[in-house]
Amino acid sequence: MPGTKLRLLPLPFDEIMRRHERELLRYLLRVTANREDALDLFQETWLRAYRAFPRLRPESQVRPWLYAIAVNLSRNRARDGVRRARVFAANRKDHSVADEMDGGDRRSCGNDGYASVRFRELIAALPRRQREALRLRYISGLGYDEIAEIMHCSEENARANVSQAVKKLKSM
Amino acid sequence: MPNERLAEFDSGQVSEEILDKLLHRSRPSVNDALRSIRRPQAALGVAKSPLGDLLVALGSGGLLLVHYLPSDKELAALIARLRSFFDPVEDRQAVQTVGAEVRKYLAGEADSLRQKVDLSLVVTAFQKRVLQKLQEIPRGAVVSYQALGAVAGAPKGARAIGNAMHNNPVPIYVPCHRVIAADGRLGGYGGGRARKLQLLRSEGFALGKADERLPDGVVWGHKGTKIFCRTDCHTTARVDRTKIMFFADPGEAKQAGLRPCKICRPA
Repeated sequence: MPGTKLRLLPLPFDEIMRRHERELLRYLLRVTANREDALDLFQETWLRAYRAFPRLRPESQVRPWLYAIAVNLSRNRARDGVRRARVFAANRKDHSVADEMDGGDRRSCGNDGYASVRFRELIAALPRRQREALRLRYISGLGYDEIAEIMHCSEENARANVSQAVKKLKSM
Repeated sequence: MPNERLAEFDSGQVSEEILDKLLHRSRPSVNDALRSIRRPQAALGVAKSPLGDLLVALGSGGLLLVHYLPSDKELAALIARLRSFFDPVEDRQAVQTVGAEVRKYLAGEADSLRQKVDLSLVVTAFQKRVLQKLQEIPRGAVVSYQALGAVAGAPKGARAIGNAMHNNPVPIYVPCHRVIAADGRLGGYGGGRARKLQLLRSEGFALGKADERLPDGVVWGHKGTKIFCRTDCHTTARVDRTKIMFFADPGEAKQAGLRPCKICRPA
């Protein structure tokens, strides 16, 4: 507040939206790998954030708070999505999607070559916390302190999760 | 997995143009969805006044919040309460009128508190009713917690009145400084006793800095009979105390529409 040392309010919500919409959408696009899902979650994240906004204290960090909402929402979505997908995928469990792509026209897939899809699958196969920590670290470039806040764990724990994930990916 | 794959993962595969396009597409629907749950805006700022700095919140419906600064531990809770109903926006200019009104009021301009009061931040129906009744107590008069309780429908609720005063979001404008103990002691005040005394003094009560009780010059007014008496009138001994209001002097009582007692002849 100008003229006083008191910090009574966090940034206005619209300003928070303006500052973070880009990175949030980027994050969601990468996590869901599906445009419609990402846009859906994008909107829902802002709605949730607005409802929870009165409880955000002026001294607390906006970015981890926002990501925590996005991470929780995409986790819910993934859980429900897995339930749905299992029904369809039950009879072809032994093939990965990437293997099937070999038969198709590779060029039509643009950047999504075999390696890239395989890589995404490997990430999807990581334990949940390692996967989330890895994405927050490498897609959004968050600090370990911020990741720790989002995932309700210690900074060391966040660091360990990311490094375990990287180690696993490298070994494959 | 080789290092360059991780690097690619790091660099981000979503191009900026696509992001721009998607953001452009999604903004209207996000704003639409938000619009239905938007809270009304309120201007929040600090106003200077002779009573010290005041934190003030103004909504479109009127004055929502006045709080004495520097802060105490309840300030954060108060702002949290404001934020759960309104979207406060810092606006130093909008709240200055309140500071100016308070300044004039303390200088003796009786009708300077023009800002409309909005009791949206009062959650319970009882407290809202108490504060509405309290607004009917005129300048130059005070009531006891007990008497105010009786008016609001809780004759034994002096403590509940105390709580309602404590939770008054708009002091000065909703005159919780005009509520005192039934035996004539002045009682406490959220902004400190000094401010309560200062306000009462500006309203015509002859109070010194260290006074603990109402001064001798006050008269008792009875709401039912519309008669006012000296404090030492023998009729005051058996009067129903929940119907009493104290006036700073006979003049104030007359102005409120009461006639002097014929026994003690206060005026």
